[in-house]
Amino acid sequence: MKTFALSVQNLIRKPGRTVALSLLTAFLSLAVFGGTVVVLSLRSGLQSLESRLGADIILVPSEAQSKVSFKDLFLQGTAGAWYMDASVTEKALEVPGVEKAAPQTFLASLKADCCSVKIQVIGIDPQLDFTVQPWISRSLKNGLGDMEIAVGCKVEAGMGEILRIYDRQCKVTACLEPTGTGLDTAVYCNMDTMRKLLEAAEEKGINHKIKSGDEDIISAVYIKVRDGADIGQVNSALTGKLRKVTAVRTRSMITGISDSLAGVSRTVTLLIALVWVLAVVILLLVFLMISRERAGEFAVLRLLGASRQGLGRMVLTESALCGVLGGAAGTALAALCIFPFSALIEQQLSLPYLLPGAGTILALALGTVLLASAVSAAAGFLAARRLSRVDPGSALRGGT
Amino acid sequence: MKKQLIPGCVLLALSLVITLGSISFLSPCVHEDGSFGACHWAGRSCMGIGAVLGILAVMALLLRRGRRGVYLSALPACLLGILTPGTLISLCRMSSMRCRAVMQPALIILFAASALAAAAGAVCAKES
Repeated sequence: MKTFALSVQNLIRKPGRTVALSLLTAFLSLAVFGGTVVVLSLRSGLQSLESRLGADIILVPSEAQSKVSFKDLFLQGTAGAWYMDASVTEKALEVPGVEKAAPQTFLASLKADCCSVKIQVIGIDPQLDFTVQPWISRSLKNGLGDMEIAVGCKVEAGMGEILRIYDRQCKVTACLEPTGTGLDTAVYCNMDTMRKLLEAAEEKGINHKIKSGDEDIISAVYIKVRDGADIGQVNSALTGKLRKVTAVRTRSMITGISDSLAGVSRTVTLLIALVWVLAVVILLLVFLMISRERAGEFAVLRLLGASRQGLGRMVLTESALCGVLGGAAGTALAALCIFPFSALIEQQLSLPYLLPGAGTILALALGTVLLASAVSAAAGFLAARRLSRVDPGSALRGGT
Repeated sequence: MKKQLIPGCVLLALSLVITLGSISFLSPCVHEDGSFGACHWAGRSCMGIGAVLGILAVMALLLRRGRRGVYLSALPACLLGILTPGTLISLCRMSSMRCRAVMQPALIILFAASALAAAAGAVCAKES
């Protein structure tokens, strides 16, 4: 207890030294905590995208590739709309190996009075859907009724609130859980509501008619392949059978995202390692310099009766306390930069980004503070060993 | 004496960042058609509150008496600044929008830091 009190007094009486040492460990913990949270968020974002897609193949009109990139819709929530004949769903179900086919219709809203960007409205068929329905079911037991909508977590609308889309009033009946993808900015409704919204859009002069003149239109069909069937063969069969339709394998889309994620992850890990090496080397040098500077002080303490082990413990306690202080400050600073600005980070990375749960973040923060104090204590250990060997007589005469 | 001026200098610097930031790097969303959304007015209000904080900081630095009172009066202004974007004045509905992704968190952090600086100034201020 005496050693602890003496260490605390030493830290208080030398504020410059304490702040400098704490800053070094703060830098270390900032890099470790910040980097790890970003990498974990990217990983959970990718997992979420995989589970959220749920389909093996997505059928879209050929024009979809040239309009807004299909990937942009999933990753950045870029609003886009393209249409094809609704009979594509039935034709797809006739292809051997196709287990389920769920149509979706997209509609990019006009610039709403609430926002300066368009909102993506997605119409689903609750009877056939297997991609969005499981997510909606978690928040809404009775399904989506007419003129009812479910909003992604990034659309700030409360339950029961009315959103105006093309001057039609839609009631919010469910708020979906975050997925970390662009789909969080979308609004979901059933096909009947979507037909009414398409009509409303036509009244505003936005034409959704397709060349064949069919009234019943869809934008995409999500395909689930039977167990044991070869996805590549089913994909080829669908491409062969359906004209002017592109079959996109979700695996290839996710692999592309996964490659980008691996690149970001590698860069962040390399940066953390570099910061680590630098911080440890600087800490070691600083503690060695301090041990020279404090040789006289320790010689006096030795002459006053302090044991070698006691002095060693004091230096270790001081360095560990600096580590705790710096670790906590660095972690807090990283948290202040990452959590409030997570939407901005997601936009800049253009990758699925889903923050880990509170428990994981808390454990990570505690681990970072412990790591910072352990590294600081380890660097202080060398100084403690050096100081405990100091001969009081020669130290007081000016030598070490 | 010099130590007593530090909170005032910090408050002045923060108020400058808030005032100038609200119309530059922390500005709200820009609508394609040039119209203004609610977030625009939230940004303007924060700019005004920032300017008030700046005046209070200058007063705290120049006044010899009543410095503590000036710092204490900055606290409700900071609270108003924290509540303005999103609570008192609504912002865009999508959290990916610039007003929600950049302006709101940055201004809340800056106003909270200003409140801390003002509180520190009130504690440190010695009334002669």
